[in-house]
Amino acid sequence: MGGTSIRNAIRRLRFERGEMTQQALADACGVTRQTVIALEAGRYAPSLELAFRLAHALGVRVEDVFQWNAGE
Amino acid sequence: MRGLFVGLLFVAAVATWLLLAGPDRVLGIDAGNLGVAVLMTVSWGSLVVVSRLPGQGIETAVSPGEWRAWIAFAFTAVIAAYAVTHAGAFRGPPLWQNPDAQRVGRTIALMVIAWGIVSAVLHQRWRDRVQQDERDREIEARAGVWARIALSVAAIALAVLLGFTPGDRLAWAPPPMIAHLIVLALIASSLVETGYTALAYWRDRH
Repeated sequence: MGGTSIRNAIRRLRFERGEMTQQALADACGVTRQTVIALEAGRYAPSLELAFRLAHALGVRVEDVFQWNAGE
Repeated sequence: MRGLFVGLLFVAAVATWLLLAGPDRVLGIDAGNLGVAVLMTVSWGSLVVVSRLPGQGIETAVSPGEWRAWIAFAFTAVIAAYAVTHAGAFRGPPLWQNPDAQRVGRTIALMVIAWGIVSAVLHQRWRDRVQQDERDREIEARAGVWARIALSVAAIALAVLLGFTPGDRLAWAPPPMIAHLIVLALIASSLVETGYTALAYWRDRH
């Protein structure tokens, strides 16, 4: 599957928050761990709602988690 | 553990042979029913073996949606192969007077029921896990588009075949065979859908 033009800092933010596991983040957002893996690898662009859920679970703003690369 | 997997593969091969190319009856039992029973036992045995793999085994590495997709693809592929290899049974009289066609129909129905049971057991086993999220729904939606395309192509092919072939060259296709071809088109569409779904999950992981 091709990557998306949306970059994210989920992996870094997880580690900055006491090495939160992918499973813990997935449980907090109501998704499967494989979806978190796909997100971190840039293979899946989340819906707006999931983006807000992720940001809320990581304790930051959406724009701190996701950046859009307009050139791609 | 490896020996157990090889054993399960062997039994699965025997079940597939019973369904696709074996004799009609084995030890007085309908080979189709026996094949379905063995196939279901193998499915169940494989799931038990996978669930007992040590550590973060494949069961947790693969999402419930992907498990469902591969199982659906496997059952659909066996059903498709069985329906194609036994299509000859539908050249005969109408279905209510054709025990061979009835047997094929019964076996296909049994396979669908077996698939349903395996899915229900898995659903129960994973009741504490998130079983579907937006990524699963997106993959299903994309697979649904391909399934509709496959069904449309099959329907058009069938219409062209029946509409443009002279009647005397359609002796092989009495009404029961046409009914079977319509069912085959549905099975093919389902095969495309489940195959696309399984591949999409696999590509997401690699």
